[in-house]
Amino acid sequence: MSANTLGSQSDKATKERNKNLYLKPAVFYFYFRELIEMLALSRNQKLPQPGEDTQILELLVQRDREFQDLMEVAQQQGKVHQEMQLLEKEVEKRDSDIQQLQKQLKEAEHILATAVYQAKEKLKSIDKARKGSISSEEIIKYAHRISASNAVCAPLNWVPGDPRRPYPTDLEMRSGMLGHMANLPTNGVNGHLPGDALAAGRLPDVLTPHYPWQSSDVPVGMLPPHHGNDFGLEPPGHNKENEDDVEAMSTDSSSSSSDSD
Amino acid sequence: METEEQARNRFQSELEFVQCLANPNYLNFLAQRGFLRERPFINYLKYLLYWKEPEYAKFLKYPHCLHMLELLQYEHFRKELVNAQCTKFIDEQQLLHWQHYSRKRTRLQQALAEQQQPQQQPPPHGNAAAK
Repeated sequence: MSANTLGSQSDKATKERNKNLYLKPAVFYFYFRELIEMLALSRNQKLPQPGEDTQILELLVQRDREFQDLMEVAQQQGKVHQEMQLLEKEVEKRDSDIQQLQKQLKEAEHILATAVYQAKEKLKSIDKARKGSISSEEIIKYAHRISASNAVCAPLNWVPGDPRRPYPTDLEMRSGMLGHMANLPTNGVNGHLPGDALAAGRLPDVLTPHYPWQSSDVPVGMLPPHHGNDFGLEPPGHNKENEDDVEAMSTDSSSSSSDSD
Repeated sequence: METEEQARNRFQSELEFVQCLANPNYLNFLAQRGFLRERPFINYLKYLLYWKEPEYAKFLKYPHCLHMLELLQYEHFRKELVNAQCTKFIDEQQLLHWQHYSRKRTRLQQALAEQQQPQQQPPPHGNAAAK
């Protein structure tokens, strides 16, 4: 190994340098031994080449200095490496912390989502209940009305043969408003509104509405939903061909709401 | 646009008509004349569902009609109504249902009466013996 190869170490990476440094002690030792032997020899011989010894010594010192420097650098690098390891551990710890938090957050989000969903469902059902709320007085009134007229509960003395029924009978239907309208001889136009005939004054006076529920009970706002005749319907019972056996509608005071109102 | 008078008349006629649907015989009549097959009529039946709302339902004297109205929304039911046997069956069941509550009441009264009878029997015997 010549001095040249030893000098070229400054070009390589520290590792390389370190690697070479590992070789250096052996080399140093070898050189040191050689030098000592040479010095010993030169003691005996009268220093035939003093220049060479000085050169070699200087080289040795120089190499030693370089070696020391590199050792220092290596030490520092070691320290840095240790710090890096510590920091890596920290980073790992933080990472696992973050993952833990992430899991908890996900759980919390799930629980909250369920809670919110259930709350919404509850609100929906509250809304629905509120919409359908009716005063108990009205319900009782209605219950009385439909029971008293035997519309939903048969009279206690009912026997087969009794003409009363839970639905409007033929007679009731014919004597109602629609029944009378269907019996009009001039009612030839199909599809016109039932009110037209009345408005045109073609119905006898007796048929003008006089039933209690219709005139006073119906609040002004209580009108049928507007339908604008989309379905272009022909109300059965208004056709001439059905006049004879048409079962017309009933509105005696007993049929639609009224009695005890 | 209809006048208020027209609207009120329409209200009354629709009220009457919807209640007539409670009558199975009338339903049979409608079915046999083919009304239940006409699209406009079917649409009208759907429109009549507004009678289920409480503010309208309170005018109904015969609430059975609402159940019939609901059934009438189904094509299968409308098809079956042509059959006179079917409507007769419906009529019978409807009447039996109608009588259900009164039957329950009479049974209850009978049960009460039976309970009281054993207590009333001894006194008449006592009187007869006295005579």
